[in-house]
Amino acid sequence: MREYTDKIRQIARRLLEEGKVDRVIGFKKGSMPMMNEPCVIRRPQDADQLIWDGNCGINLANYLTGAKDKVGVVAKGCDSRNIVTHIIENKLDRDNVVVIGVPCQAMIDKRKIAAAVDGEISEVTETDDGKVVVRGNGFEKTFDRAETLQDNCAICVHRNPVICDEPVADPVPEQTDVDRYADIRAIDAMSDAERKAFFDDMFAECIRCYACRNACPLCYCPTCFVDESRPQWVGKGQDENDIRTFHFLRAYHCAGRCTDCGACERACPVGIKMRVLTRKLEKDCKELYGWEAGMSVDQRPPLDAYKPNDPDAFIK
Amino acid sequence: MGLEPGRLHFSWISSAESTKFARVAQEVTEAVKALGPNRHFLKEKAKVA
Amino acid sequence: MKFVKIDEKQWAEGIGKLKSGYRVFGPVKEGKDHEFRELTGDASPDMAFSNTRLSPKSVVYPQSEVMFEYTTDESRPDHHILKEPRRDDTPRAVIGIRPCDALSFLLVRRNFDSPEYKDPYWLRNYEATTFVGYGCNDPCATCFCTSAGSAPHDTQGLDALVVDRDGGYAAKAITEKGEALMKAAGWTDAMDEAEAEALFADRAAAAEKKITRQVATDKLAEKPSMDLYDAPFWEDVAFSCINCGTCTYLCPTCWCFDIQDECRGCEGVRTRNWDSCMAPLFTAHGSGHNPRGEKVQRVRQRFMHKLKYYVDKYGEGIQCVGCGRCVRSCPVNIDIRKVCDMMNAYDPEAANDCACPTT
Repeated sequence: MREYTDKIRQIARRLLEEGKVDRVIGFKKGSMPMMNEPCVIRRPQDADQLIWDGNCGINLANYLTGAKDKVGVVAKGCDSRNIVTHIIENKLDRDNVVVIGVPCQAMIDKRKIAAAVDGEISEVTETDDGKVVVRGNGFEKTFDRAETLQDNCAICVHRNPVICDEPVADPVPEQTDVDRYADIRAIDAMSDAERKAFFDDMFAECIRCYACRNACPLCYCPTCFVDESRPQWVGKGQDENDIRTFHFLRAYHCAGRCTDCGACERACPVGIKMRVLTRKLEKDCKELYGWEAGMSVDQRPPLDAYKPNDPDAFIK
Repeated sequence: MGLEPGRLHFSWISSAESTKFARVAQEVTEAVKALGPNRHFLKEKAKVA
Repeated sequence: MKFVKIDEKQWAEGIGKLKSGYRVFGPVKEGKDHEFRELTGDASPDMAFSNTRLSPKSVVYPQSEVMFEYTTDESRPDHHILKEPRRDDTPRAVIGIRPCDALSFLLVRRNFDSPEYKDPYWLRNYEATTFVGYGCNDPCATCFCTSAGSAPHDTQGLDALVVDRDGGYAAKAITEKGEALMKAAGWTDAMDEAEAEALFADRAAAAEKKITRQVATDKLAEKPSMDLYDAPFWEDVAFSCINCGTCTYLCPTCWCFDIQDECRGCEGVRTRNWDSCMAPLFTAHGSGHNPRGEKVQRVRQRFMHKLKYYVDKYGEGIQCVGCGRCVRSCPVNIDIRKVCDMMNAYDPEAANDCACPTT
């Protein structure tokens, strides 16, 4: 990862020096193990703050929405697909963004690691040979990096940026023969009562902080439907119907747009696995329209274009 | 989402197809009535903590 | 009976006995994390926890609470009258609350129980509750209670304090409420006072040594509010913030709420729900104007309220107990310890365009 960091700093410094961008959005080292903080760099001499490692899971496309200045952004595969989505949704002008493309080696899941050790973690290091070394008070444990990945990264098939102006490294091999939808098929196979119970259980701990929505680059509505007050669509309390309405409707708003970057699950303070909702819609979009979100700036998404041969078996 | 199948219907009806509209409305009403009252996604009065 | 010893059997029996007179709340393991829940049936508190994921504030201040009920059915004589619902006023006991979390109730009380206004909902619940603290032996790396007016064995907000002892616990009654609870639990096996004092002092000192992070708050009161408000670092602090409400909902000292009416047919309730200063809707005016329409204003507000306005208004330190929950759970690693140090050290004379610390 050291080479990635060096290259990102070098590119950021050059872009700022040459005046190609007004600022660069990337990550700086966080104040806790397995946490990095999104940051903005405006001066070439500050570029050395930027870093790259397996804790850069936050989707930086979220910080680009509506940008009017020239921005450089450090982007892994999923981030780049969200940048494409921003461009086709007219949230961003392609000419205003310089994509510093990171061939992604997958992000590590801090919750998985925390759950696999006893005691508080003080330091986590990634080695060049694909290990993650976790140290804490009185223990040291080494994991294969592959065991520690975020769920979405483990099944990712687009690790390389789809648009890229400044490559940080040569492309990494993409994963093939990945089954992205095993759990979705299991849910599809449930009876409606089982499915309701499954979702009731899934949302039981939601505290409605909306971290999932706010971490999502797709959720840029000026006023989200849950925040509308005239009229008010959704109750504000802890009623299970209101909680469900929020999660389901939010997922539907992401249909054909979600890149499965995993920012929602990563941000959730109570560990709700809400990606099953967006992946169900992703699966439908793929099966019905052959569509994967954010792969090209030249194609309109299926939900904003009509084709005479669109599937319509559900219409009587 | 756990909504029973049969509560949601889609139809494509042209503004010129009034008889189809009437027939579909009839069919949907009957189908949903046959399922009985909806029990899911019903908000009850908030509980006193 | 100031100090008692409790062996494991007496502990378990005592929790059982308490349930006949109290609604008992305690830490329960759910998945990887602990939360405070009501202990019903045979449930017992799981004391092997470091810090619960959510604070226990909901025992006194539920996330969603009914204030009134009403009907608009004009055939009923009490239509259009707001009526208080019948409440469960059984005494409550929180077993195993951490000293920092217990202190948070005293901080919040300044808001809900002031000479000008007494909040009946919060106060009723608070007064019905007995807080049995559990001395903290292994503070987390994110803990900074000793910089926030508390300590791992602080008793300020507690009615009784329990600490580990070979083969069980030792307990100290701090208030009459705490003494009454210990009697009700049958924890009356008196302990030699000198031995107990030494045990409590040793435990407290050992835990305090493990707090590694200190935060400077000494200069916050003397800084002019407007200097801090206009400080150049807010843009940088706020940049990464995604404006979710995680920090405010997890925080034991965040008390803001929103009042809502909900009705179905003619029957309705008025509820109050936790709200968050991170949400734009929190300050949206009916006119459409929003005095805190920008993210940076909302982020600044949260820190200014906790670390400056509260300090100035009450003169009792910061509105934070150093539990570290916001630090641990912030999705983008915004760290109140760094922000506090920055505010405390801020000097507008020395500030220039590179004032923003980068680490």
